[in-house]
Amino acid sequence: MFINNFKYSIKTLFRNKALIFWTFAFPIILGTFFNMAFSNIEKSEKLDIINIAIVNNDDFNNNVVYKTAFKDLSDKNNKDRIFKTHYTTEDKARKLLEDGKIVGYLKIINDEPKLTFIKNGFNGTIFKYVTEEITETSSMVKNISEEKIKKAIATGNYNIDYESIYDNVMNLIEDNNVRINNISSNNLSYTMIEFYSLIAMVCLYGGMLGVVAINQSLANMSNKGKRISVSPISKGKLILSSVLASYITELIGLALLFIYTIFVLKVDYGSRLGLDIVLALVGSLAGLSLGVAVASVFKSNEKAKIGMIISITMLGCFLSGMMGVQMKYVIDKNIAIINKINPASMITDGFYSLYYYDTLNRFIFDIGSLVIFASLLIGVSYISLRRQKYDSI
Amino acid sequence: MTVFKAFLKILDKNKFIVIMYTVFLISFGGFNMQTSDNNTNFVASKPNIMIVNNDGYKGITKDLIKYIKDNSNIIKLNNNEDTINDGLFYRDVNYVIYIPKNYNNDFINGKNPKIDIKSTGDYKSSYAEMLLSRYIKVANVYQKSINNIDEIITKTNETLKKEIEVEIISKLDTNSLSKATFYYNFASYSILACLIYVICLVLSSFKDIKIQKRIIISSTDYKKINRQLLISNSLFSIVLWLLYVILSFILIKDVMFSYQGMIYLLNSLLFTMCATTIAIFIGNIVYNKDAINGIVNIIALGSSFLCGAFVPMEWLPDGVLKMAHLLPSYYYISSNETLKTLEVFNLDTMGPIIFNLLILIVYSLLFIILTNVVSKRKQKIG
Amino acid sequence: MNIIEVKNLTKKYKKLKAVDDLSFEVRKGEILGLLGPNGSGKSTTINCLLSLLNFSSGSIKIFGEEMKPDSYDIKSKIGVVFQEVSVFEELTVYENIDYFCGLYITDNKTRKKYIEDAIKLVGLEDFKKFYPKKLSGGLLRRLNIACGIAHKPKLIFLDEPTVAVDPQSRNNILDGIKKLRNDGATIVYTTHYMEEVEILCDRVIILDKGKILATGTTDELKELAKIEEKIKVEVNDLDCKYIGEIKDFKNVDEVEYNWNMLLITYKKGKNNLFDIMEYLKKENIKYSKIFSERPTLNDVFLELTGKELRD
Repeated sequence: MFINNFKYSIKTLFRNKALIFWTFAFPIILGTFFNMAFSNIEKSEKLDIINIAIVNNDDFNNNVVYKTAFKDLSDKNNKDRIFKTHYTTEDKARKLLEDGKIVGYLKIINDEPKLTFIKNGFNGTIFKYVTEEITETSSMVKNISEEKIKKAIATGNYNIDYESIYDNVMNLIEDNNVRINNISSNNLSYTMIEFYSLIAMVCLYGGMLGVVAINQSLANMSNKGKRISVSPISKGKLILSSVLASYITELIGLALLFIYTIFVLKVDYGSRLGLDIVLALVGSLAGLSLGVAVASVFKSNEKAKIGMIISITMLGCFLSGMMGVQMKYVIDKNIAIINKINPASMITDGFYSLYYYDTLNRFIFDIGSLVIFASLLIGVSYISLRRQKYDSI
Repeated sequence: MTVFKAFLKILDKNKFIVIMYTVFLISFGGFNMQTSDNNTNFVASKPNIMIVNNDGYKGITKDLIKYIKDNSNIIKLNNNEDTINDGLFYRDVNYVIYIPKNYNNDFINGKNPKIDIKSTGDYKSSYAEMLLSRYIKVANVYQKSINNIDEIITKTNETLKKEIEVEIISKLDTNSLSKATFYYNFASYSILACLIYVICLVLSSFKDIKIQKRIIISSTDYKKINRQLLISNSLFSIVLWLLYVILSFILIKDVMFSYQGMIYLLNSLLFTMCATTIAIFIGNIVYNKDAINGIVNIIALGSSFLCGAFVPMEWLPDGVLKMAHLLPSYYYISSNETLKTLEVFNLDTMGPIIFNLLILIVYSLLFIILTNVVSKRKQKIG
Repeated sequence: MNIIEVKNLTKKYKKLKAVDDLSFEVRKGEILGLLGPNGSGKSTTINCLLSLLNFSSGSIKIFGEEMKPDSYDIKSKIGVVFQEVSVFEELTVYENIDYFCGLYITDNKTRKKYIEDAIKLVGLEDFKKFYPKKLSGGLLRRLNIACGIAHKPKLIFLDEPTVAVDPQSRNNILDGIKKLRNDGATIVYTTHYMEEVEILCDRVIILDKGKILATGTTDELKELAKIEEKIKVEVNDLDCKYIGEIKDFKNVDEVEYNWNMLLITYKKGKNNLFDIMEYLKKENIKYSKIFSERPTLNDVFLELTGKELRD
């Protein structure tokens, strides 16, 4: 009996096209959209080659420091290349600027550089910064050389080899080892959050499967339930078998999404896949219990209940950063309690902490919170499911 | 009139959907407008830097901190690795500098001490790293040739102080223009989703009624019903468009009263028209009411993600953008993007926008023709 | 032997008494009809019997034991066909029957045989692989019945199984029910079609507003109607004089003449039809049709409540 009911519950769930669309197909489609839209964000966050122009006047051509520096920084073979430089007249540079072809242009008048931009912006800031550095270098060369020459004169050496002093100073500047050590943990790909909240969405959408399973077994919710209620089967056993079928169905959907995101979309879940699976199991249990609770506590039709699940899920996912990662951070920082009771956020946060933290404290907190959430709802459902007879049906 | 009444009835039943998408528009639009400063639009050029100082506050350490402070926004978070990591992950902090113990002394002794950092690896962190390495570079050079620490600091500052004259020529309020663009880009999602959902529901409800009426009344009336349906649908589209336009006037009124604002209006009107024809076309090929919900989500979300309604177009991969050329939303959104930086209004600069508007009209015509072809074929079969 | 014994069953919805102090029994092997208009409390009574609904007072015994939600022994011997079609849209005809039968019969081999029997009984052999959506209203009703009785229960409740069913399916269904009884089942059948009750039921309980109005065999009940016979004559332009004369006939209770139809109601008497035909011949009145009717349950209902069974 248990197996018979289980078998047919699985069959009915899989043949319910709307249900399968929302729990299986929709997340995969949404994930693909995410991937298409976000795959470039991180790359574009990194420094691109910046288009600039330099006014090709005599002042520029005579200034060796600027000329070599920009030539170097625009060299295609230089792996630290920052600029693509147009050497042109001022009028043409201005036209390029207005057409949005370059971020700004440089003009040198009497060894003093002047920059023109169309608006404030990050690439402009970089351009400005590099120009400043070049000015600094030439100022340093000047300062130190003067110092050296002064010293040479002070020691009575009038036969100064300017060439060697210059080379010396240049060596000093070039042989400069800035020792910065990057200790950032993991790579910081924040679009992963979108995919984590997508998993959270599927976990909570599992609630729909719970709604369907419970609704068709309860006499006061559906006619099929009436028929089941008059059969010689303990209600507890039957519901357990139906809910188990929903859970398995949900896990299959989740597994498909995992496989798709890992192998097709190349989402990185970190190195602890085992714990990721534990989180997915607990998360989908939380989603399922939400569905069971909604189905057993509220007396309305299946459509309204599924609508409730969808609304709760979408709100939860929004707060946990599915439509913009900043949202999660804003909530976490200001009204942390909301995300502590939001299962979508706990699931998202669990994946995040597994991926990003070395310690498991936060992960364990997330799992614990989900377990409490699920047990509370299961408790509530149990109380209302215990009823065997109804006042009206 | 009966058609219109029935239309209103169906609309009334589904008003929740319209309200939902409108709330989406206001809340996401509004939310993103506020955070757009540090999110999509790098107007504020200073990076957010956090300094963890394990050395005393003296000498070169003091001066380095001062230099960083002057050139960035200093962020203070709890000195707790989890908090710092969260801050980095969510781009609250772009760069964290850990000044080691005895940094000042080790520097003076020429040990060139190593500095640990954490970085988000984005634009702003690159700039932060430039600041840091620039300071160290200059200080190192002077350290090698000068023995007095105070003199090193003085010379370093003197060198770093070199400012360059900068001229900014634009008079555009780029900030509010990008807000407007964001709003109207997002509106493409709401418009598309609302129109497809409501119009498809109405058409599928009428399919049942139509069949009955066709039996009862003459064939001319059938055409009349179709015409009234078209009018009702268009009326609904216009009302929805007006609603969003009025909202935009409330949210971003300074932009909306400019020349750019007028083009935003024209562009969104044409897009609404195009979306209506799409909705009618879909309503004519999809019968199943349950399927409508899925189709709405796929078409509206798909167009919006692929064409840059949610994520700025310049951040989308080239392959995706090429695909997006097939979708009407692309032309609508790219006009909005152009408007963001459009300063001079002449045939040259307006060219791409006019082209995009024409494409929207072509798409509308295309969908009208397709709808006719499909419904004619259905009549033959039926 | 009584299969069901109901004593003083009362079910209140707030102030409204849906079932009011009902007492009756169902005897082994009979088809008991519960007859009453819509809203008379038939379905509520059945739902109480099945322990789906709480009831306010009274007792219910089935197979000699008190019926409770966890009386699985009793439940295993009961089959129910509800008024609303209650099958899974996602399962085929065969799968639906298999699912519901599987709630009772765990042995696969027996179940397979039972399912085939049920399909044969309701005549769905050609539709085994069909989904409910593809079935016509009548076929769907038959499936609904098959799902309720496939496990060969000893006691069967049928709640209006023929509502909105085409005549062919209805005959099929009624034949099936008779067959079930012949195979040894006891049947409780609710309906508001009196014709069905007359064809099918051994005993009838007439319900109205939650109360039992009358109980008995069809013939017993018909006596309550206090009418022996109705004779209808189709005759054009009958003179008032004749109507008055017919009224004075022996045994005649009432005479009506509308739309060229003469309706004569008799309280008793055996040769009424012969008498009236003699009279018509004698007076040389031409009539196109004449027929005699026995009183129906509708007449009984009319007599008891002053209103028609069906509107």
